[in-house]
Amino acid sequence: MGKKKNSYSMILVIISILVVFVIIKYIAPYVFMIVLAKDHTMPTPSTLILWYMILAILGALVYVSTSDLKWAKFLSFILPAGDDKTKAILQKMIIVAFPVLVGWFVYSGTAPGTASPVELRIQHPTLLQEFEKLENPFAHVNEETKKRYIEEGKILYQQNCRPCHGSKADGNGPFANAFRLRPINFTDPGTIATVVESFAFWRIRDGGPGLPGASTPWDSAMPSWKDTLNDEQIWKIIMGEYVTAGVVARQREKIEH
Amino acid sequence: MYKIKSNLILKCSFVCLLAAALAFLCLSVGFAQTTQIFRTYKTGVTARIPQTPEAIAAGKAIYEKRCYYCHGIKGDGNGPAAPRLDPKPRNFTRNEYKIRSTELGTLPTDEDLFRIITSGVEGTAMPFWSTLSSEERWQVIYYVKTFYEGFKESEAHEVVPISGEIPSDSESVKRGKELFKEAKCLLCHGEDGRADGQITTTLKGKWNFPYKARNLTKSWLFKGGNTTKDIYRTVTTGINETPMGTYADFLTDEDRWHLTHYVKTLSHDMNTEVVLKSKLVEGDLPEGPDGAAWDTVSSIEMPLAGQIVARPRLWIPSVNSIRIKSMYNKEDIVFLLEWDDKTNEQDETYSDAVALQFPTKIPEGMKKPYFAMGESGKSVTIWHWRAYDEFKQTEKNENGGNTEAATDGGSSVAEHEESEEQEEEKIAEEKPKEKFKGFATIKEMNAKGFKNLAEQPSNSQHSKSKSYWKNGKWKVMITRPLMTDDKKIDIQFETGKLIPYALAAWDGSNSEIGGQKSISSWYYLVLEITTPRSVYLYVLIAIIMGVSIQFWVIGRIRRFPPKITTEE
Repeated sequence: MGKKKNSYSMILVIISILVVFVIIKYIAPYVFMIVLAKDHTMPTPSTLILWYMILAILGALVYVSTSDLKWAKFLSFILPAGDDKTKAILQKMIIVAFPVLVGWFVYSGTAPGTASPVELRIQHPTLLQEFEKLENPFAHVNEETKKRYIEEGKILYQQNCRPCHGSKADGNGPFANAFRLRPINFTDPGTIATVVESFAFWRIRDGGPGLPGASTPWDSAMPSWKDTLNDEQIWKIIMGEYVTAGVVARQREKIEH
Repeated sequence: MYKIKSNLILKCSFVCLLAAALAFLCLSVGFAQTTQIFRTYKTGVTARIPQTPEAIAAGKAIYEKRCYYCHGIKGDGNGPAAPRLDPKPRNFTRNEYKIRSTELGTLPTDEDLFRIITSGVEGTAMPFWSTLSSEERWQVIYYVKTFYEGFKESEAHEVVPISGEIPSDSESVKRGKELFKEAKCLLCHGEDGRADGQITTTLKGKWNFPYKARNLTKSWLFKGGNTTKDIYRTVTTGINETPMGTYADFLTDEDRWHLTHYVKTLSHDMNTEVVLKSKLVEGDLPEGPDGAAWDTVSSIEMPLAGQIVARPRLWIPSVNSIRIKSMYNKEDIVFLLEWDDKTNEQDETYSDAVALQFPTKIPEGMKKPYFAMGESGKSVTIWHWRAYDEFKQTEKNENGGNTEAATDGGSSVAEHEESEEQEEEKIAEEKPKEKFKGFATIKEMNAKGFKNLAEQPSNSQHSKSKSYWKNGKWKVMITRPLMTDDKKIDIQFETGKLIPYALAAWDGSNSEIGGQKSISSWYYLVLEITTPRSVYLYVLIAIIMGVSIQFWVIGRIRRFPPKITTEE
């Protein structure tokens, strides 16, 4: 086999995997900052990086093994370089880099860690039975009253919820930085827009202390507001909160009709 | 047939190895991130839209949907949320615009308003409104301007030029430091810039609002930005209707740059880490809050929030961050807590205080007690330091010895018993007293929820403190033996484990007491251990395995080279 047959497909695979990593790790935060109009970069969660990287590697390997020819070319990089000097250097680099990487992973995995633990939060604990059937008592008032209640709710929101969840309901209140689990961003379509109003009622009324024991830790700093706010005020806050955040609550599916 | 099989094995091993490797890589990356967001002053301004009655009407609609809750429907800074805010929202009906590029006493330019609305103001409730389109922001500005007549009268406000920046060097900083004294900056901002100057508590603005001098050590709290240009602008244009005047006439342009460079050196960035590493030291721990050994460990800084989890809530906390360091030796662990407090005024009821909270038992899994004083069934240990108590104790200790001896023999049986108890305590304390001379005992408590707080019996009080306040900063050193006899009520520190801890602080001069305090959520403390030798062994084994697998693969491929069929 002559020089021309030398294939660099293994190098290409490695480079493309590195490119994917760089994109996810360093470029995506800025892209999402611009796309979602945020004021800060949006770092990709490490678990997500992990899955993307596994997918990228699998994808690359599936690609190189789609035909015997490609697979042979891919492996041929390991064959003696002959007088191709770049190939020889790259081969040496791979030979050195692989054990070093393995060693590094083992070291970072077993050395006494000072990395903080992963803290997962299930954003939607199962709604308790007693709240399941709860309806907003103001759901069917006339438009005029509704408008008034929403405004009252917005004011209550600004007085009580704003310090953490922020004036814009974006989870960026002045106290937000102090909490390791940042207060929820209500404008995010994945938060209050995906729950029914009675769920929000439960969370405001019972807060962090009222979360069920299953699938802990919750680590929520959400206060239990039943000590200061009555049920009517909480319902008004919910109405105001959804308007402030610019999202609507999920509607309960009607079983009949 | 054989070839296919070998290909398959190769492929599989490749996939598995790479996936596993990358899994490790990804897991080790990016855990210790905190999610802090500070609003920064952005100077960019987008093209303005014409000021038309329609634009003002549109601005009014936005204002009454988003801004009036704080700034008030009439723009008087008296919205329904205002009572729970500090600093108070801006009153638009008069010229108290603080962050301007124009001369002191004049109105800001529209661009100044645009910058503030876009950036928000850190350390206040003002959010960044870059979430509104720039057109909407301009509309709001045009509406906000209608609240104050002055905007109609004077048209062009001249922008004070910011130019001739000189580079920062040690000479310039030195000159700046002199100017800081000469220009009497330290009267309000304090000698070290912690807003603890002589007249700082008496400061009032024109409308009798209490006005706080800026703490110049916290870079993230600089109003109107913390770049040299921003600081220069503030020194030059002053802040309307506050004691912060303009220094344009008092200092030359160049001197103001020197001053700027000095101010810049006073400030630090907030360095928050999720995990606080307690350093292992051989031999003695520092003998006090100023021990030289403290300089060998770096501190981390935790942001604090007002306690609004349960009644009585504190909406306007005074302490907004606290710095912490730690180290330990075979017997004791020590913490150094530092936070800014512009006054040192203590009395029995309202005293500056700080508390460290740990779970009573280090949790095995991820589930920790409730971060705010635990919950039933999951108790927390709290070490509660109070400035007033420490002061009283040290006062007693200093002139105490004789009085105690005098009362020893006499008086009633009850008192006698008490003094006996005290003596027993003394004997028990004898040893640590030699180690931490002049330390006062601090209150150890256990809590299982807000209303379930109990002080530990006097013979189980093991933590001690020594502190001092200087130039607007508390430095409190707290120590406790790693292990105590009260295993049921005291946390036992174990090395290498993630131990949750949380902080609380009270500012006595802000009438903070009990539940009215600044708090943090759980963070972690780790008593660092030296890397065990076994780790290096594992690494060596892994590398050897890696190398052998690698050469086995290479050898295999080279022995049975894949056939590259030229056609197809």
